[in-house]
Amino acid sequence: MKNEGKKETEQTKETEKIKITPKNINENESESEKQSFEVDRRSVYRCVQCGTCRSVCPVFDVVGWESANTRGRMLIIKSLLEGRPPSEDVLSSLASCTTCGICASKCPAGANPPEVVEAARAQLVKCGITTDAQKNLKSAIITYGNSFGETRARKHWLSGTERSKLPEKSDYVYFVGCFDSYRYPEFAKKTFDILQRFGVTLLPDEHCCASPLLRTGFREDAEKVMQHNLEQIRKVGAHTIITSCAGCYTTLKNNYPEELKVISLPEFLAEHLEELNLKKLDLTVTYHDPCHLGRHNKVYDAPRKVIQSICTLKEMKNIKENARCCGGGGGVRTGYPDISLELARNRLKDVPEGVDYIVTSCPLCVRNLRDAGGNIEVIDIVELVAMAIE
Amino acid sequence: MDITAELQKIVGGRLSVSPSELYCYSSDASQVKGIPDYVVRPKSTDEVSRIVRLAYENRIPVTARGAGTGLAGGAVPVKGGIVLDMSGMNRILEIDIDNIQVLVEPGIIQDTLNETLKPYGFFFPPNPGSSAMCTIGGMIAYNASGMRCVKYGTTRNYVRDLEVVLADGTVIHTGSKMLKSAAGYDLTQLIVGSEGTLGIVTKARLKIAPLPKIRKLVIASFENAETAGQAVVKTFSHGVIPSACEILDRVSLQVLKRYDPKLVLPSEGDVILFEVDGTENSAREAAEQIMAVCAPLALSIRLAESEKEMADIWAARKLVGAAVSRLDPTKSRIYVGEDVGVPIKKIPELLKRVQEIAEKFNLPAMKYGHIGDGNLHLALFIDVLNKDEWDRLNKAADLVHRTAIELEGTVSSEHGIGAARAEYMKAQWGPALEVMRAIKNVLDPKGILNPGKLGL
Repeated sequence: MKNEGKKETEQTKETEKIKITPKNINENESESEKQSFEVDRRSVYRCVQCGTCRSVCPVFDVVGWESANTRGRMLIIKSLLEGRPPSEDVLSSLASCTTCGICASKCPAGANPPEVVEAARAQLVKCGITTDAQKNLKSAIITYGNSFGETRARKHWLSGTERSKLPEKSDYVYFVGCFDSYRYPEFAKKTFDILQRFGVTLLPDEHCCASPLLRTGFREDAEKVMQHNLEQIRKVGAHTIITSCAGCYTTLKNNYPEELKVISLPEFLAEHLEELNLKKLDLTVTYHDPCHLGRHNKVYDAPRKVIQSICTLKEMKNIKENARCCGGGGGVRTGYPDISLELARNRLKDVPEGVDYIVTSCPLCVRNLRDAGGNIEVIDIVELVAMAIE
Repeated sequence: MDITAELQKIVGGRLSVSPSELYCYSSDASQVKGIPDYVVRPKSTDEVSRIVRLAYENRIPVTARGAGTGLAGGAVPVKGGIVLDMSGMNRILEIDIDNIQVLVEPGIIQDTLNETLKPYGFFFPPNPGSSAMCTIGGMIAYNASGMRCVKYGTTRNYVRDLEVVLADGTVIHTGSKMLKSAAGYDLTQLIVGSEGTLGIVTKARLKIAPLPKIRKLVIASFENAETAGQAVVKTFSHGVIPSACEILDRVSLQVLKRYDPKLVLPSEGDVILFEVDGTENSAREAAEQIMAVCAPLALSIRLAESEKEMADIWAARKLVGAAVSRLDPTKSRIYVGEDVGVPIKKIPELLKRVQEIAEKFNLPAMKYGHIGDGNLHLALFIDVLNKDEWDRLNKAADLVHRTAIELEGTVSSEHGIGAARAEYMKAQWGPALEVMRAIKNVLDPKGILNPGKLGL
């Protein structure tokens, strides 16, 4: 949603911070190594506890405890700032936020809870307080360069010949992401088939974009991963990155250096509709706004433009800034699968009658909505476009 | 006795003693704090009854809580003990259109109830700014009202019957399905507004009202708040009863525009929003009458152009109280002295004196509220990291409360007394407070129900 790197610098200038040394952390650490809990106090105190977020927080909707809504999370973070020692006890609250950001869009006081929650998670990581799921996710990314701990080559979906023919230099790079590389290689293939026509290449050694690390608080590890990808981008000489994953998109756009131009696949497609020469299909589809593409980055119109150039779009009950989360983000799918799927089931209730497909622009949303069942097929926007090309 | 184990027997996993969870239940939207020892989320009257009986036998405080959106600390367990989170008891049990009533559990959210009633052409009129999240149980406990009470009355006017768990766990009904009854004391009205100090509401039978065919909104601006107050008095004395009558001072207008830049609001003066409802003819006639009455006093006056414009203005108005930080991110709105009310005729004087108090303590203030029923929401805002501003804030709030009493008004029009305003009960009620204490002692002899509230 926001560039933590950029934002933090601004915030540090004007922010008072307090340091609290947790009592239950490794006593053997030297004084300098002892970790403290630091989060921008002003952004936490901006919450006036009115409870408006109770009416929209999708996790609270499922869980029901006060700690599972945004106000509860802000209160817990406040208590840590005010001296309560951080402990594992806070995890079920702070680790169960999908960072979907609907609370921020509704907050009358203008608080930005996802940003605060992510900052608090980073502090917890410093204090050695994480869930097993978060630890495993981090370890997979650090060891294998992808969030699934896959040992296969990232470009396994291309033949050896195709790989050898990839241009070494290009102004444009398709950032594939872990999901499309390993769970939906068919999306990757279809996306790259389209993008190749425009001279787009792939990174020689793409790693995870670092989104899962940033969302769950492993900021130092994220830095290393981002550095690796940046070196790869420099090698190719690209100035523009195109990605079809909402998580990669928000990370590349807001956490990587500003000079990088980042475009989501729907934006790219919308810009090149004429060249794509898509045929009309006799279909009616609905569109699910991924939180990190829509609410966090305001990409609402491009996917709709693409869909409407192909077929009829019938909107879901809650759309754009009011779209409900699929439950996949913020590490919740990995850490709290039951909650995550319940959120997806709730989102499916917003699907209108009489549609052939649920289209979205994020493989994580595809995955979670598919796993939630339902009788309407969930597809990525690239699949719809591919149908219109064939 | 192992209370945790006993509570677990009653509610199973719907019990928490986790420090983080307890902390989340230690406050509402006010500045009152108090950590509970247990939080339980009951699902039935039977569970509530068994929990309260357990608490009674062991002298453990019990505090009922809805959505925790209260502004007086009413749901805050200032003496510890058990918090009953009633928000999970949220079913609509019966929609009885023929008898124009509904039967609900207390955790139902106001907006959810009204969304459900809309297709039937009915609504539950009391509508606080927090209607998207506040529960009917909380509204009953604090006799909540909101913007439309000027015409439709407060929650009190809509409660026919309550199922209540008394301090020893006994379950009673306080009323019936009847529109009227002359059989004995009106226990329903005793429970409404009693802030969970006399019993725990587990079901409520509510009167509902037909949705008006049409609403119209007159937006009028005045040179100052006093003139605006005079316009309201004049409107009423001409026999027009609007369905809402809200004042927004200059600061409120700035905040609203920050919250929703699309809103078209007067750029100068203090604004009154007059809403009228009814049929096309009656609403138009009332709107024209208001415009004619106010025109000689107003700087500008116009009718909202569309339903969409009305909806946008009301949506922003509902959240204006918490939106002060939009104007200055270093300032937060603190809910103290925020709910005083005076007889309508004294509104201009209240507005003047409140402004003087804010200036005396050098605190930025925003004034808005239900001017049609004499209820002023004063929003004082401070930098929460500045101790001196906190001191000045509390002194100002104290003076605001005392001013309201002096003007024959009330320290709370609709938010309740809770712990935040308990100290003013003596000044507000005099010897009548002893009558309240006597009632409390009879119904809750061990003092376990929401102790530390209402100045009892």
